[in-house]
Amino acid sequence: MRSLRLFLIPTLLLLLALPVSRGRYNDDFDDGEDLADDNDFAEFEDMNDDPVAETETMPPPRVSFPSQVDDEEDEDEATVELEDGQDGFEDSETQDQDIFSKYDQEEFEGIGDMEKTIHSMKDPLIIHTVPAHLQNNWESYYMEILMVTGLLAYIMNYIIGKNKNSRLAHAWFNSHRELLESNFALVGDDGTSKEAVSTGKLNQENEHIYNLWCSGRVCCEGMLIQLKFLKRQDLLNVLARMMRPACDQVQIKVTLNDEDMDTFVFAVGTKKAMARLQKEMQDLSEFCGDKPKSGAKYGLPDSLAILSEMGEVTDGVMDNKMVHYITNHADKIESIHFSDQFSGPKIMQEEGQPLKLPETKKTLLFTFNVPGMGNTSPKDMDTLLPLMNMVIYSIDKVKKLRLNREGKQKADRNRARVEENFLKQTHAQRQEAAQTRREEKKRAEKERIMNEEDPERQRRLEEAAQRREQKKIEKKQMKMKQIKVKAM
Amino acid sequence: MCFSNLLRLYKPPSTETNPTLEDPTPDYMNLLGMIFSMCGLMLKLKWCAWIAVYCSFISFANSRSSEDTKQMMSSFMLSISAVVMSYLQNPQPMSPPW
Repeated sequence: MRSLRLFLIPTLLLLLALPVSRGRYNDDFDDGEDLADDNDFAEFEDMNDDPVAETETMPPPRVSFPSQVDDEEDEDEATVELEDGQDGFEDSETQDQDIFSKYDQEEFEGIGDMEKTIHSMKDPLIIHTVPAHLQNNWESYYMEILMVTGLLAYIMNYIIGKNKNSRLAHAWFNSHRELLESNFALVGDDGTSKEAVSTGKLNQENEHIYNLWCSGRVCCEGMLIQLKFLKRQDLLNVLARMMRPACDQVQIKVTLNDEDMDTFVFAVGTKKAMARLQKEMQDLSEFCGDKPKSGAKYGLPDSLAILSEMGEVTDGVMDNKMVHYITNHADKIESIHFSDQFSGPKIMQEEGQPLKLPETKKTLLFTFNVPGMGNTSPKDMDTLLPLMNMVIYSIDKVKKLRLNREGKQKADRNRARVEENFLKQTHAQRQEAAQTRREEKKRAEKERIMNEEDPERQRRLEEAAQRREQKKIEKKQMKMKQIKVKAM
Repeated sequence: MCFSNLLRLYKPPSTETNPTLEDPTPDYMNLLGMIFSMCGLMLKLKWCAWIAVYCSFISFANSRSSEDTKQMMSSFMLSISAVVMSYLQNPQPMSPPW
């Protein structure tokens, strides 16, 4: 018994040391460590022939888990003989899979079956992946790389688009410069200088809009040319244009002096443009109420339509040269709009109609489409030069065009009608506005009286106000009487 | 022939009378960019911050020459800072929504 005890203590110590040295059960870490243990504790191996139960530190499950890989570990396992009365450790709840010893078949029952189940339980090893941010792996950041690539693509497109628009603008200006300089004294003004000096260059409003102001010519006040290119610098716009093609436009607005144009409203252009303008433009909707007529009657292509205040105007504008210009360049013409009542698009105000008629200006508007449908090259700008000639011709033509007596009378009647309609519609609002103004005046006067410190003056002012009121009432009564008498 | 009495200086058209003619894209994109930046910063959403960067780029591309560059730069800086802060707080890569 004593020798047994002497043997037991070191064995216990050995078994305590084993888990620390071995670490977690893992095939990967199964290296030469165990071999070292082998040598250290080899002396105990021979004594471990007897079947043993494991100690406290390695609470055994009810079954043994012999595996072929465990052979080395099994050898290290010390066997311990239990003293009488002690039970084998039965807390198998822990299900510790790190069992190193083989259980003797004679000593234990049902081991064979459990072995199989344990094998199957052991098989599905779950190997967790290392979290992404701990990996030194750029591939996991593929979304970020995509984003940065997208940004770089956007920047590249911005630079390319901006340069293309700039080249197109300068190509246009170079081809038109001579014509403009021969017709206008002032070509190019950015509005900052107080002196009328030609800058001789385009005014860049945007990466896709360029302006040019020309002035100093007979028959007109000035001409504003806007080159409205496509937004080539914006990648989103480029992608949208793949779905819905659009083209660059040149918009020319010629403002005239009062004596430069007679009173008429006229427009010609593509059918779609005419329908849109008739709805949107204040003057076209008021003076050209009829549906757009086909231009075929005047020798124009079928694709073009005409909106006119009266037939005489169309006959006057559509002379041979104009028809020739329009027919030859019909594909480039979006709309041509001559008006002495031009006030821009209809303004939708929240509080109903505006209280007074919008200001009008005698204007000629031209909208031309640049050929190429977006894929424009600088050479295409030369094809717009004849259209500029047409613009100059139109300015001179409109100056000479005068309506006959009948036409003039009809035009004047139209304008009077429009004004009357407008006044009727706004009558209620104007009345309200007048009433508010009167009340404001009264209130201001009363306040003035109240603020007066001198009681004597206050009384006199009050009396004066009362007399004024009385007079007003008497006047009104007189008027009513007169109206009644007239009615009778 | 003397044209001096015919000369008229250029007067830039007032945008107040014709608000419909003005392109609202840069203003909307600016606002959207700021909103996404704030969402990205407060809610620590990386994709919000990235979209904010895109919005500020789009706003810059569509802006008018007369617009204040300070406004543009501040929106830009805000979106960049949103991206940087999101990654400092959580260095994990962005996961796709699918």
